[in-house]
Amino acid sequence: QMWQVGKRQASRAFSLYANIDILRPYFDVEPVQVRARLLESMIPVKMINFPQKIAGELYGPLMLVFTLVAILLHGMKTSDTIIREGTLMGTAIGTCFGYWLGVSAFIYFLAYLCNAQITMVQMLSLLGYGLFGHCITLFVTYNIHFHSLFYIFWLGVGGLSTLRMVAVLVSRTVGHTQRLILCGTLAALHMLFLLYLHFAYHKVVEGILDTLEGPNMPPFQRVARDIPVVSNAVSNTTAKAVALTL
Amino acid sequence: MSDFEQFHVDFYQSNYTIDDQEEGYNSYGSNENLCGSRKSQAGEQPPAGAFAPLEMLPPSQTYTGQILQPTYSPNTLSHLSYTDGFDEEPPLLEELGINFEHIWQKTLTVLNPMKPADGSIMNETDLTGPVVFCLALGATLLLAGKVHFGYVYGMSAIGCLAMHALLNLMSISGVSHGCVASVLGYCLLPMVILSSSAVIFSLQGILGTFLALFIIGWCSLSASKIFTSALAMEGQQLLIAYPCALLYGLFALLTVF
Repeated sequence: QMWQVGKRQASRAFSLYANIDILRPYFDVEPVQVRARLLESMIPVKMINFPQKIAGELYGPLMLVFTLVAILLHGMKTSDTIIREGTLMGTAIGTCFGYWLGVSAFIYFLAYLCNAQITMVQMLSLLGYGLFGHCITLFVTYNIHFHSLFYIFWLGVGGLSTLRMVAVLVSRTVGHTQRLILCGTLAALHMLFLLYLHFAYHKVVEGILDTLEGPNMPPFQRVARDIPVVSNAVSNTTAKAVALTL
Repeated sequence: MSDFEQFHVDFYQSNYTIDDQEEGYNSYGSNENLCGSRKSQAGEQPPAGAFAPLEMLPPSQTYTGQILQPTYSPNTLSHLSYTDGFDEEPPLLEELGINFEHIWQKTLTVLNPMKPADGSIMNETDLTGPVVFCLALGATLLLAGKVHFGYVYGMSAIGCLAMHALLNLMSISGVSHGCVASVLGYCLLPMVILSSSAVIFSLQGILGTFLALFIIGWCSLSASKIFTSALAMEGQQLLIAYPCALLYGLFALLTVF
C-alpha cells in the first residue's frame, strides 16, 4: 500500500516536472541577446505597417520583475520601515508579479477581442521588457527625491517604453477602433502603474513616519488612497497605540 | 549499548573503557600476532553483531590463560570481539560524509572568484559547509544586534528552490536540490565577512553601500563561476550571476538595514 502511495506521489512529482519542462525553450538565451532586447525595449519602432517580431522569451522579463521587486524593497528600506519586513516583501512581490501577470492576461484578452496577432508568451515578454523603463525610473527617483525629476522621468522614460509597446501592438492589429482600444488601455495602465509605484510607497512611508513622530498630526493626511496599503498602515498604527497604552 | 555493560561485568580486572576504543585500534595492529594464538584458543570468531555468543564461551578457559597477564589480555580479548565489528567500519567523519580537505578546497574556490574552478568538485552534495556558513551569518548578525535567524533560513530555502528551478530550465543537464543548496551556501561566505564588518561600523553610509555592492558582486561571481563550470553553460555566466546577485542582495539588505 505504501508502494502505491509512493508511486502516486512520484507520478505527481514527475508531471509537475514535466510542466516545468514546457517553459524550457523560453529560457534559452545568450547575454548578448538579453542586452540587445533591453535596449530595444526603449526604442519605439517606426514601421507600424509591418508586424513587428516579438521575442517570446521569459528570462529577461522574469529578471526584470525581480529587479523591480528588489528596487521597491530597497526604496522601502531606505525610508526606514524595518518593522514591517515580512509585509514589505509580500507587498512588493505581490504588486510586481500581479501587475506583470494580471495586466498581460488582461491585454491578451483584449487583443483576442480586437483580433490582434499576439500570443500569451509574447505579451508576457513585451510587458516584461516594458518594465525596464519602470526599473530605471524608480531606481533613480527613489534615491534622488525631487518630484519634478520624477515627472520628467515618468514622461520621458515611461513614455518611451510605452510607445514601443504601443507601436508593436499597433503593427499587429488591424482597424482603427481596435488599435485605439488596445493601445489606449495598455498605455494608461503602464503609465499609471509607474505613478502608483512612486507615490504609493513614498507616501505610505511618509504617513507612517508622521504618525510615529507626532500624535497631533492626523494620520490620514498624506496616505495614498490604495486600500490594502492604507489598511496595513491603519492596523500597524492601531497595534502600536494598543501596545503603548498597555 | 548493553553489550558494553555486559563486558564490563564479565572482565573483572578490566581497565578497558569506551574511550580506549581508539587506542584499541592502534594497539590491535601490534598485537595481531599475539592475538592469532588467542583466536585459535577462543574458537571461531563471532560475527560483528553477535557479542552475546562470545559471552557464552566458557569464561574459565579464557580467564585461566589471562590471570598471568591481567592488564594485557582483557584488552586483547575485548579487542578481538570489537575489531570484528569495528574493523570494517570507517572512521566517524568519513561515515558522516564530512571531508575537511574538500570543504577547504571549496572554500578557497569561493574566496578566489578569478581562478577557474574545477567542475567536478560539486559532484558530491556537501551541506556541512553551507550550514556552518549560515549559522556564522546568523551569529555575526546577532553580534550586530539583529536576531534574524528565521529570515536567513527562509530566504535561503526559497532562494534555493528558485535557483534550482531556473537552473533546471536553463541547463541541458539538470541539477539536484542538494548541489544548488551546497553552492549557494558556500558562496555565502563573503556575506559573513560583510555582516562581521557591520559589527564594527554602521553600513548605512556611502562606504557601507559600496562595500555591500562589492560583496554582492563577489558572492554572485563565485556562485555563477561554480555553476557554469559544473553545468557546462559557458556563455551564460552573466545570466546566472544576475539572479544570484538579486538573492545575495536580499541578504545584504538584511545585513545593512
